[in-house]
Amino acid sequence: MSEGRKSYSESLEEVKKDVLEMASLTEKGICSSVEALENYDEELVQHIYNVEDESNKLNLEVEKECMRLVALQQPVAKDLRFIATMMKISDNFERICDLAEKIGKIAQKKGKKDPLKPLVDTNRMIDIICEMLEIVKEAIEQEDTSDLRGLSDLDDKVDDLFSQIYNELIVFMVKDPKDVDEATDLVFVARYLERSADLVAKIASRLVYMVEGERVQIK
Amino acid sequence: MEFETNSKDKERKKLEEIDPVVEAKNISVWYGEEKALENIGLKVPKNNVTAIIGPSGCGKSTFLRCINRMNDLIEGAKVEGKIVYKDKNLYDPDIDVASLRRKIGMVFQKPNPFPKSVYENIAYGPKIGGMNDKEELDEIVEESLKDAALWDEVKNRLHSPAMDLSGGQQQRLCIARALAVEPDVLLMDEPASALDPIAMSKIEDLIYDLKQDYTVIIVTHNMQQAARVSDYTAFLFMGKLIEHSPTEKLFENPDKKKTEDYITGRFG
Ligand SMILES: Nc1ncnc2c1ncn2[C@@H]1O[C@H](COP(=O)(O)OP(=O)(O)OP(=O)(O)O)[C@@H](O)[C@H]1O
Ligand SMILES: [Mg+2]
Repeated sequence: MSEGRKSYSESLEEVKKDVLEMASLTEKGICSSVEALENYDEELVQHIYNVEDESNKLNLEVEKECMRLVALQQPVAKDLRFIATMMKISDNFERICDLAEKIGKIAQKKGKKDPLKPLVDTNRMIDIICEMLEIVKEAIEQEDTSDLRGLSDLDDKVDDLFSQIYNELIVFMVKDPKDVDEATDLVFVARYLERSADLVAKIASRLVYMVEGERVQIK
Repeated sequence: MEFETNSKDKERKKLEEIDPVVEAKNISVWYGEEKALENIGLKVPKNNVTAIIGPSGCGKSTFLRCINRMNDLIEGAKVEGKIVYKDKNLYDPDIDVASLRRKIGMVFQKPNPFPKSVYENIAYGPKIGGMNDKEELDEIVEESLKDAALWDEVKNRLHSPAMDLSGGQQQRLCIARALAVEPDVLLMDEPASALDPIAMSKIEDLIYDLKQDYTVIIVTHNMQQAARVSDYTAFLFMGKLIEHSPTEKLFENPDKKKTEDYITGRFG
């Protein structure tokens, strides 16, 4: 292996590390967001904003590095699929961080006031999303797809929880118009979480393509 | 602006569905005791570009030479198996090798124009084939040079020595020379390896255009070149055909680990 190619392999490893870092940021961002909603803490919200900021920067780094590798190394086969996938999923992680930021804003708006209702199902959603993110992280790390198809069921559960929360909050709104504003915010939170789970499922689909070369849709 | 979408590229036929113009069946080649090719079976689709890739010494040139029986000229070379072209085995005893080599022409790595004028280089083949009419010859020369994308550059110096042309021009002249005898199939052994990127891209554009009328088989060490110009790619390794697939498939998601290792540069 020539020196050029050696550093090429190293660069690919670097990209992978950065994307794993993106995954960790995402986990932090999205988990903190719901926590901030339950137990408001100004510092925690700042932390979410910082994570979002960092994820934007790191996503750009990943893109730059991938474009550099495409230009200089003309990757093919597995390398090509790897680079294309890393660029795409890094974007998806970044979008989840955006959603975390939006939830952070809602938490900030609500402040220290008790939530309209205990966030039991919302917490369930976040638990499942974290589980999904763990599976995805492991798959990136090992370049192994065996657990990814299971994400489909988890994503379904998140969808069901969203419908449940939605219906519940509609009842609140109907009962007392004073609560419409806060209930709507909570519907948005649930919607953002549901969207996050979709994005994780999309990431999983791309990882299957990366490893197996087959285009599948996990949803 | 209009987008031209090449629908053929999008739905490239699977090799099994192809009606080949040339088909190698169980081709093995020995140089003395050394076996250089082992049981190669390969279908070459008509009006397509087929690239042959593989490490140095894997048998690419040997295979190309089988197709128009150039190995006959190498002492000690022995070919077994069949090359089927127009329902005939080219190794049948009744084959006229000279006219075969006109139907299946060859362009080499190093441009090798004859030490004659540009015009004479092109007219040579048709003249040998019995063409004497000056006007018709003029026409063939012009057409061939146009097909080889060289006409504009040499139309005012047709009677100057071919050796005075640049390397890239000489290579296109050799392609024009091969085209002048109206071949069906053009074999090219690393035709652009000695050229700068501009000359190379001219040859590549030319190869792309040629497939309207010809079938091209090109040996290249340049993986990106194979990816750019070819419709199908065959990967040879140590005298064996490892994989033969539509080019985008081979470069995006090859079937064989060996192919993957080779094209990603992770060999050895
Ligand atoms: N004229 C010859 N006499 C003896 N052995 C030969 C001859 N031509 C080729 N060989 C041997 O046959 C094998 C295949 O050679 P060939 O030239 O076909 O490889 P290639 O794939 O074209 O390599 P390269 O990429 O270096 O051009 C090699 O081991 C080579 O040494
Ligand atoms: Mg060769």
